[in-house]
Amino acid sequence: MKQKSKRYQKINEEVKEMSFENPYLQGLMERVIRRNPAEPEFHQAVKEVLTSLDPVMTVHPEYIKEGVMECLVEPERIVKFRVPWEDDEGNIHVNRGFRVQFSSAIGPYKGGLRFHPSVYEGIVKFLGFEQIFKNSLTGLPIGGGKGGSDFDPKGKSDSEVRRFCQSFMSELFKYIGSDTDVPAGDIGVGGREIGYLFGQYKRLSNEFTGVLTGKGLTFGGSLARTEATGYGLCYYADNMLRDNGHDFDGATVVISGSGNVAIYACEKATEYGAKVVAMSDSNGYIYDKNGIDLDCIKQLKEVERKRISEYMNEHPEAEYHEGCRDIWQIPCSIALPCATQNELDKNSALALIKNGCFAVAEGANMPCTPEAVDALHANNILFAPAKAANAGGVATSALEMSQNSMRYSWSFEDVDDKLKTIMTDLYHNTTEAAAEYGMAGNLVAGANIAGFLKVADSMMSYGVV
Amino acid sequence: MNKYIEDLSARLEARYAHEHEYLQAAVRWLDRIAPVIDRDPSYEKMDLLARMVEPEHMYAFLVPWEDKKGVMHTSHGYRVQFNSAMGPYKGGLRFHPSVDMDSVKFLGFEQTYKNALTGLPLGGASGGSDFDPTDKSRREIMRFCQSFMMQLYRYIGSDTDIPSGDLGVGEREIGFLYGEYKRLTGRYESNALTGKGTKSGGSEFKKEAAGCGAIYFLQRMLADNNDSIEGKTIAVSGFGNLAWGVCRKAALLGAKVVTLSGPDGYIYDPAGIGSEEKLDFVLAMRASKKDCVEPYADRFGVEFFPGEKPWGVPVDIAIPCAVQNEVDVEDAVALVGNRVKYYAEASTMATTTEAFRLLELSPDVICAGAKAAGSGGVILSALEMVQNSQRLSWSRADVDERLHKVIDEIYDSSVAAAEEYGLGYDLIGGNNIASFLKVSEAMIAQAL
Repeated sequence: MKQKSKRYQKINEEVKEMSFENPYLQGLMERVIRRNPAEPEFHQAVKEVLTSLDPVMTVHPEYIKEGVMECLVEPERIVKFRVPWEDDEGNIHVNRGFRVQFSSAIGPYKGGLRFHPSVYEGIVKFLGFEQIFKNSLTGLPIGGGKGGSDFDPKGKSDSEVRRFCQSFMSELFKYIGSDTDVPAGDIGVGGREIGYLFGQYKRLSNEFTGVLTGKGLTFGGSLARTEATGYGLCYYADNMLRDNGHDFDGATVVISGSGNVAIYACEKATEYGAKVVAMSDSNGYIYDKNGIDLDCIKQLKEVERKRISEYMNEHPEAEYHEGCRDIWQIPCSIALPCATQNELDKNSALALIKNGCFAVAEGANMPCTPEAVDALHANNILFAPAKAANAGGVATSALEMSQNSMRYSWSFEDVDDKLKTIMTDLYHNTTEAAAEYGMAGNLVAGANIAGFLKVADSMMSYGVV
Repeated sequence: MNKYIEDLSARLEARYAHEHEYLQAAVRWLDRIAPVIDRDPSYEKMDLLARMVEPEHMYAFLVPWEDKKGVMHTSHGYRVQFNSAMGPYKGGLRFHPSVDMDSVKFLGFEQTYKNALTGLPLGGASGGSDFDPTDKSRREIMRFCQSFMMQLYRYIGSDTDIPSGDLGVGEREIGFLYGEYKRLTGRYESNALTGKGTKSGGSEFKKEAAGCGAIYFLQRMLADNNDSIEGKTIAVSGFGNLAWGVCRKAALLGAKVVTLSGPDGYIYDPAGIGSEEKLDFVLAMRASKKDCVEPYADRFGVEFFPGEKPWGVPVDIAIPCAVQNEVDVEDAVALVGNRVKYYAEASTMATTTEAFRLLELSPDVICAGAKAAGSGGVILSALEMVQNSQRLSWSRADVDERLHKVIDEIYDSSVAAAEEYGLGYDLIGGNNIASFLKVSEAMIAQAL
């Protein structure tokens, strides 16, 4: 009894914390918290979206009347299942598998699978909710979903990963399909895992379809997928810069990270005439005043899989610093955080502002803390949020689905051209939505609103379903 | 010789001793890909080759049908789903008395690697029946096709297995089969079969595709040897769609096909089979179902050689377009003796193993295999599937251009693969290695 009241107390505190001026949104938020207890990530995501949608509710009371908001915060379906698997010594392990099919208003469910010990229902719901709006923004016909398992692929042998993937798919295959739900990779699920999952799906269903994206090139994968998020980020940023009288040409750029996103953002920014002077990995960052030698980074990261500190062997004139926080102290005019969540905090934002930076575009998922975003907005720094700026990855997944559907592969140039068009349209949709609802220049709100409107209007046309 | 390949070949020979054509294809293929297996022992560890030389599924079923006198007959139907690593199973249906599990397995095997070479999303399969359509009425053929499909429909589907035509299965038979499939499933599933008529989802350029594919490949071979097809004389066997397409395209490019053949012998037309009148006559001769070429000699006053094959005629280029194993050692000796410079197999495994060895060992002959020079037909099928999937139809020029592009890619990837594995300019070795690498990569990635 005492324990129960303690739990209620905690929920009440959280409700108080997440307050809205709009009484309708306040009530909705409260219901979300009470009905999904102990899922703070999900609450946070809902809160962010509802905040942006406040002005929309005033203009469109019909969304409230038709129950669109209530439906939207409740997943259409959640599947939770047991995944038993055998390790190399013959021991049996049991993990949990999840698939949240959040919204199919504008297309079949689409979203990644994450294999990581932190995965539980709340995380998958949070990610699936975010995915709805990101997918909608691409303008392509894909709904929102997410899934995964608390399986930890770290330290597992190739055979163990294969056995796990096969067992996972033996259950998941009942719920997915190229017209139903098309999973992709995420943390812990790369090309290898997608291959194993696809092979098992094919054996179980006796069908060769585009049921997963991120496949290898010999069985339905798309060209330009590796480059897509990084290139897409620069296409989006380029639109934003030009719209505000700036340009990549001649600009000094700092990029955090050295994975796919960072490397190909660096490649495209350089192609546009910018000078990228810093990149990082989880150990530290390098600062090369003459401009980063990208070939050297690619060799280190894509071929040799070494630490970025080794860059100094080739370029002793550059500087290497342990730790990543201080990368944002480097003077630059454009910052592209492409490493990880919450890597750019308020202090980093203030340093960027002080050094004359005029644009920040997120390549990673939510790399800027909410306080940092507030600081950037307060100082009129151009800010491109991840939901829009890094949507190139999922857009290319959708292009993989198109190619699978028509049983044909586009060339690299074809895919890249389409990506560029998608990112340009996406920029215009976000700016226009922000301006229409009285928040011109606020692309965070613009992205949430533009993504929401398309989904909400489709839901309205289906009636109460 | 690689130990793994040697052991596997021996196992296959013991297990399938009676399946001569399948064994011939499998053992020859294992021999060709040895350079790759030698270089990387992980193939043996995964025992991957054992899953690459045998089919994933095989179906055998009985097909009862009633003739026009009301008498019942029973034929045998087969479908071998060989490999689906790169796409849904795809391959022809053959209606011919010679069809048995052995020949279907062999065709499915060849189809898998031919399809892989195109780089299009296609697995490999084959099927058919020992039903002989030559002397049957239209109504009998319809009844047979309906009975055949009543069994087959369980195993096929646009994302599972997409049959097309082959020997004895043309547009008419595909039409009957598709109608029955549609009736049984209740769906207009365009991609359940390819080779349909243009009014029910078939592609333009169908008739010309196979011949064009062979000539496009030949053009690349010639160009790489500082030569050109213009003014060349060509010997062709067979007189079906493929042979007709080769005659037509060669004539358009200024070359001359001087022979055609049938089960009755061959004709020799030194003026070349290129005029519209002659080409139309060839089509009519095939459509008459009499299965002989002598009428051509009678009609155009050229020589007919009963019971002989056309490989003794002195020409620059030889393109077999008939059936498997039609070119034996004797023919190969004749070809070499006549200083034939280019040999392009357009029909599947037209050459016996020994004859091929002889041709390849002759320094003055440049050879291409059916997996490359004979892929025009399946490329067209794949492009038909693309059009059906998009619910659109392309123009003839569009189809031709895409076909040409795929053939160029096949040529380039074959040359590159042969180069990489130290075979030099070896198109056949290159074909086999390039397609092996694609299928094996897809299988390993999917843990198949």
